[in-house]
Amino acid sequence: MNIKTKGLLAALLFTAGQLSAQQSDKEGPAFKPHLEHRIMAGFNFGATAPVGLPNTIRKINSYWPEFSPSLGYELGYRITPKWGASVGVKLDYKGMGTKDQVLYFPTIITTEDGGTFAGDFSGKNQTTVRNAYVVFPLSATFTPDNKWRFNLGGYAAWLFSSNFYGSVSDGYIRNGGPTGGKVVIDHATFDFGTDVRKFDIGLQGGALRKVGNKLEVMGNLNWGLRPVFANEFKGLDFPLYNIYLTLGVAYKI
Amino acid sequence: MKLRKLCYVAALAGSLQACIKDAPMNPEADIETFSIDKSQLTSDVFIDQANSTIRLYLTPEAYATGIAPKLSLSTGATVTPASGDSIHFDTGLRQYVVTSANGLNKKTYKVEVVNVGYWKWDFEKWMINDDFKYQYPIDEDSAVTWSSGNPGIAYSGVDEDPMAYPLRATTDAYHGKYAAEMVTREGTVLSGWVGIKLFAGSMFLGVFNIENAFAKPLEATEFGQPYKGQPLRFTGYYKYKPGAQYQDKAGTIVPGMIDSCAVYAVLYTGTTRLNATNIHNSDRIVGTAYLPDGSARENWTRFDIPFMMKRKVDGNEKLMMAIVASSSKDGDNYKGAIGSRLVLDSLEIVHE
Repeated sequence: MNIKTKGLLAALLFTAGQLSAQQSDKEGPAFKPHLEHRIMAGFNFGATAPVGLPNTIRKINSYWPEFSPSLGYELGYRITPKWGASVGVKLDYKGMGTKDQVLYFPTIITTEDGGTFAGDFSGKNQTTVRNAYVVFPLSATFTPDNKWRFNLGGYAAWLFSSNFYGSVSDGYIRNGGPTGGKVVIDHATFDFGTDVRKFDIGLQGGALRKVGNKLEVMGNLNWGLRPVFANEFKGLDFPLYNIYLTLGVAYKI
Repeated sequence: MKLRKLCYVAALAGSLQACIKDAPMNPEADIETFSIDKSQLTSDVFIDQANSTIRLYLTPEAYATGIAPKLSLSTGATVTPASGDSIHFDTGLRQYVVTSANGLNKKTYKVEVVNVGYWKWDFEKWMINDDFKYQYPIDEDSAVTWSSGNPGIAYSGVDEDPMAYPLRATTDAYHGKYAAEMVTREGTVLSGWVGIKLFAGSMFLGVFNIENAFAKPLEATEFGQPYKGQPLRFTGYYKYKPGAQYQDKAGTIVPGMIDSCAVYAVLYTGTTRLNATNIHNSDRIVGTAYLPDGSARENWTRFDIPFMMKRKVDGNEKLMMAIVASSSKDGDNYKGAIGSRLVLDSLEIVHE
């Protein structure tokens, strides 16, 4: 974990603490700080995508979410009636598929046998992403009333299984760049699964709404700040980020 | 609530479409076609895109008078000299410079007139490709008349080392210093992505069309060079050792199967090259000389194969002669044994 990350987490904790300290002065004696336990389950919808599409992507023909469950446990600490903090541990699958068309798309492919190919591809692409992470979210929480609870914070995630594969078809690749030799590609597969970074960090925030005695519905946006591939990886010439919305339920235990 | 969120997701996905930026300007600067009248040609023009070279096979008359080729280019690109301008071969090196539509890229094509003077090769002169480090033999007069699968394999992520390619020079020669060595090798991870598990060693009189290398590999090997005369025999020396384990296209070992080599010459009519899809069965074929037995030969072995002619050739007709050799007979279908080694030296087409 780098210094920036540590700083972010520390700032979040500090802010939560400060806010709660201010609040607690005004609260009556009826409220007692307490712990809350929740089991959370849902599905992730979103994309492992660039922020702003590069002009080499000409058309997105289709998009579909992969089966991406999210299951976790959250420990919340309510310091005041309205403010608190929470930490959690989640198993998060983040996945999607897309079919698109690209033009002069630069790529450098390096394979485990030491082979390398650099060139520009024009044609169709299909990519499937399905990465599984163990995620530790940390949030400041705000509970304005009995029905709602909002949270904002960050997360750190460790990859434990990765899939990033697909195919290119109906196009051509030019060796070395736009003036290189042109090779028609009918169909070729690729697999960048082993190049996916082991660690991700990002911002997350969302809301819970009470729908039953112990049951809440949940929506939480998770925005990765670290590119999914390392800088040395040149299969794509732009960074991808994990941007996923978890929709699901929380059960208070 | 949940429904509304789902709507947001849908809107988000939809908005990605709206984020599509303007298309980049065309950065490509290819000469795509180079057309001159068929009567001026002894073989179709070959644009060697991998080496930015236009190879011309001209009648003596066309060579003397010059030609006025019509060019087609990458969309929006421009070229000097212009399409339709005359070029003459007595005024030194010819080249075309193409500028891409976006103005950023220039590509210079050399023009080379290729002639097969002597139908006899000792494979003493070899060149190394600058970009990929594969070897190729050149004729005594430095003409490039032989090709191989090497240019395609170069795009498959092999090491930039002449010995990583299936065709290379060897000092294990029958005559002179060098001979041509072909060794069947395993595919690369990248070639596996297009379903290729094995590269046979090959060499042939003709050209390699890189554009078709992966999509239509059998059409990428274009066999033949312009020929005049009445061939009698195809002669030469070879050595052959099959590799240990024969594998099929999927890479599965076929027990008991032993690899064999292929060496043959085919004479056919016309100016358009035959390729691996029709070199054995085209109705343009007028004569063939096949090495009858492609099994192992530990020591240098002479072959002397008479041409089987369907008919006598007419002195005025346009003819092409192909010579094809491979260290794995079914290598064009990616079948063979890794390590199969064929060495060729002192080839000759003996004429009447």
